[in-house]
Amino acid sequence: MYLQLAWRNIWRNPRRTIVIMTAVVIGVWAMIFLGALMRGVSAQMVKNGIATLTGHIQIHQRGFRNDPVIENSMHEPEMVEALLAEYLPSDARWSPRVRVDAIANNARHSGGLTLVGIDPEREAGVSFIGQAVVKGEYLDAGDEYGIIVGQALVDKFETKLGRKLVFMSQDTERDIASRAFRIRGVFRAEMEATEKQYAFITKGAAQKMLKLGAGISEISILLADYEDAESVADNLKEVIPPDSYEVETWRELLPLVTAVLKMYDWFIYIWYLVIFIAMGFGIVNTILMAVFERIREFGLFRALGMKPLWIVKEVLTESFFLLTLGMIIGSGLGLLSIHALADTGIDLSALSEGLEFVGMSRVIYPVIIIRDIVVANLVVLVLGIAVSAYPAIKAARFTPVEAMART
Amino acid sequence: MNIVECRDVRKIYRQGKVEVYALRGVDLSIEEGGFLALAGPSGSGKTTLLNIIGGLDYADAGSISVNGNQIDRMNQTELANLRLHNIGFVFQAYNLIPVLSALENVEFVMLLQGVSPTERRSRATAILDDVGLDGLYHRRPAELSGGQQQRVAVARAIVSNPSIVLADEPTANLDSKSGEGLLEMMREMNEKKGVTFIFSTHDKMVMDFARRLVQIRDGLVAEDQVKE
Amino acid sequence: MSIEIKMVWRNIWRNPRRSILTILAIVFATMLLVFMLSWQFGSYDTMINTAVKVHTGHVQVQAEGYRDRMDIWLVVPDPDAVSRILGDIPEIEAYTVRANAFTLVSSEDRTYGVLLIGIDPEKEAKVSTLQKLIRRGEYLGENDSNTALVGELLAENLKADIGDELVILGQGRDGSVAASVLTVKGIFSSGEDTFDRRSIHMPLEYFQEVFSMRGAVHEVVVLGRSLDDVETIKEKLERGIRIVDDHKAMAVLDWMDLMPGLVQSIKMDLVSALIMYAILIIVVAFSILNTFLMAIFERTREFGVLLAMGTTPGRLMRFLIFESVTITLIGIIMGIIFGSLVTWYFQVHGIVISGASEFLSQYGLPERMYPKLSILSISVGAGIVLVITLLTALYPALKVRRLKPVEAMTAA
Repeated sequence: MYLQLAWRNIWRNPRRTIVIMTAVVIGVWAMIFLGALMRGVSAQMVKNGIATLTGHIQIHQRGFRNDPVIENSMHEPEMVEALLAEYLPSDARWSPRVRVDAIANNARHSGGLTLVGIDPEREAGVSFIGQAVVKGEYLDAGDEYGIIVGQALVDKFETKLGRKLVFMSQDTERDIASRAFRIRGVFRAEMEATEKQYAFITKGAAQKMLKLGAGISEISILLADYEDAESVADNLKEVIPPDSYEVETWRELLPLVTAVLKMYDWFIYIWYLVIFIAMGFGIVNTILMAVFERIREFGLFRALGMKPLWIVKEVLTESFFLLTLGMIIGSGLGLLSIHALADTGIDLSALSEGLEFVGMSRVIYPVIIIRDIVVANLVVLVLGIAVSAYPAIKAARFTPVEAMART
Repeated sequence: MNIVECRDVRKIYRQGKVEVYALRGVDLSIEEGGFLALAGPSGSGKTTLLNIIGGLDYADAGSISVNGNQIDRMNQTELANLRLHNIGFVFQAYNLIPVLSALENVEFVMLLQGVSPTERRSRATAILDDVGLDGLYHRRPAELSGGQQQRVAVARAIVSNPSIVLADEPTANLDSKSGEGLLEMMREMNEKKGVTFIFSTHDKMVMDFARRLVQIRDGLVAEDQVKE
Repeated sequence: MSIEIKMVWRNIWRNPRRSILTILAIVFATMLLVFMLSWQFGSYDTMINTAVKVHTGHVQVQAEGYRDRMDIWLVVPDPDAVSRILGDIPEIEAYTVRANAFTLVSSEDRTYGVLLIGIDPEKEAKVSTLQKLIRRGEYLGENDSNTALVGELLAENLKADIGDELVILGQGRDGSVAASVLTVKGIFSSGEDTFDRRSIHMPLEYFQEVFSMRGAVHEVVVLGRSLDDVETIKEKLERGIRIVDDHKAMAVLDWMDLMPGLVQSIKMDLVSALIMYAILIIVVAFSILNTFLMAIFERTREFGVLLAMGTTPGRLMRFLIFESVTITLIGIIMGIIFGSLVTWYFQVHGIVISGASEFLSQYGLPERMYPKLSILSISVGAGIVLVITLLTALYPALKVRRLKPVEAMTAA
């Protein structure tokens, strides 16, 4: 019965109800939409990090992570590769790599970068490079002198497809290894830093140049779902001898990204709270007004023998309706605006250098996380009902005589 | 000279699709210095006529002149000015600004007129003394009785030296003793200051006090009786 | 006090609970904005100052195109000529010169590609914080030649310590092979990974010898007395340079040109924050709109009397706006006061964002951060709240303009 009464009561003053509901709607919309944008930023950061050679899990020779030099390579990768073939889920893909710091030179320029020796076919299934070549061609497995470099590097070195670059690095015998490569392909990456940082040659060429034999620097693994990284990594740790090899997930490999993710988590919930406080004042005030206007009515209820608790319940039910309606519309609008941006995203190319600086992508796509939407609505509902308790208790305290005496 | 001239004044209210004729062609002249009551049952149109004379409401047809001004041709701001300088109002209830004291309520009109603060103060205290409220200057409306509140309202209505005071059921919320006191006071002001008083009422006592009694029925002047 | 002010004031306190809640909402929003903007401006300042002090200085003179390509042969051939111009600019605090080269550096058992920077030890100390960043060993001395300062992470990677020898191998200005042996004299740490992992500093004179620089440098780095002087310095410097450098081979760049990423990320942070604040304040606005509306609608009869008395609708509207503005201003002023007090407390004591230190140090931010109260942070925050709440207050007040006396008096 009081459900009906409460519902009718909130529409006694439609303007007032609509105004406060608008506050709730905008608030919930802001929580969900901006939350999704922040999630989008962080998801993109994770995605970039993972796609830019990290993968979900990496295996290294023990010691390589602290001291990433050629001596700390995996000298007998066959044994690890056999284990991977046996223990990885069937939909997981992995790729071996040689990775070394080098100096690139041509007649006019020189600069430092990371030379990555890849198994072209396997690598294409794991990292971005398989789809990133925009000019020329991707590497063939047997190519001994081909190299793929980033567009930014090509610009910096004033070179082009088909030209040569000389690379110098230290080989396993601690001598300076030097080798010329011809540019077979040019790649573009989400970030300019990536284009400047990495150059790709075949694994065979790298092994030959560095006198590495069959050795590799790392194995990068890509799973079907990045959420599985921890459990798969745990399984691998059981079978891969831990005294020679390190198995790490992207969370350990990208500590900065992990730190940002954690910060965003906090930030989103603080944002929820701040928005709630902003509408909380309005909720209390509006319910107070509605209650004070009806002092006589509440007095009458009391005179009729209504229990105070019933009045509290009635007022809280009104606030419940108000909040729920606002939440439904706000969440709906939030999801709609997320949907509207799902394909196009928000293009921030104008600020590309700033985005690079903080490691963000040029286009932000909002990401819906069910938990965020639930939390946002719960914050509004629970705290909204909590602050409505004040006017509700106020209403229940009017004594019949006092209430009837008021005009 | 007549201070109010109404010629064939008509007013129609529309309630949904139904048209209600409030005034159906009223002709009325009111002489300066009069003390006149418009009487009639509720719905007769007397309050409407009073509002139209006071420039609070527009007539649909006819001409109304107040103090020589053709008010049916004035806009809102001109009417506001006319009311400010030429007309005082006393209503049935909710007359006073609740957050201002008796003195401040009276001063407020002169504030709108742009009277200097010192003159405002002396004129306000003088008029409050005249209506019998000396010593109650600083009470807020809530701290005054109904009769006292209406006295403040009258004081406020006449302090600006208007030519007409329009009083809509001023005694309706008062007991008969306070009502009589109020009316005596108003008659005194009428005689002393020569201000024209026009009442709309169905209170017998008001009709008895009035020197001219105009009966309104169904939006028309039914009877016009000058007592002496 | 005039009757009007009294009337407005008393009307505000007619329903104290309601007014207080409304004022509190405004106080909350203002406090939050004052604090957050002070916080942001404070961290921008720190970021800029750290970056300027560690890397770029305020203004640099470089060869045209050097910023993008960093080629060794793009030089400032006669740094002394630039120094003479700098000597005449009073806004300059200090300046130094640097030369850079990408080289391979090898320790006994490790080789890495690094940025080798030749510095003038004495002048450098006045411009950058390098000297203060030395964690072990010593800073370069006046007469040092083949000594080096190595980043902490690089030293770790190289497995090199104080006194160890490093072989450098690179390309000189003339394209010849440049090679030398340097002794590690000091190890520095800025907290910024790329800098600590990828750079080595050595005395400029010896650098010039090894890399056949023939007296040339790559950067003339200028530090102004304050950030506000940058524009003046840049302008004066440009004018001076044009006289000696008539074929535009040299460029004068300020820290914004040199670190566009930093500038844009600050802009991005500020813009996204302002959007969030605007949304927040709009929520606040709807939150308090009901109060303004109610304060007016429940007094309709009173307005009827005021109109009957001859108050013009415009004047009535002004009364109501005056009333709303007063509430808003009380809220904003209190918000500014409390917001400033809170900010000031943290400005003195600092705030530690636990667990974020590693992340923050990448942007040159210390673990303990200090918001910085300024006229700007206060006025921007308060300004946003003021504009939006005033618009909110205006809406109901405008409705009053249409009020007719008779309707008003018969309103419920």
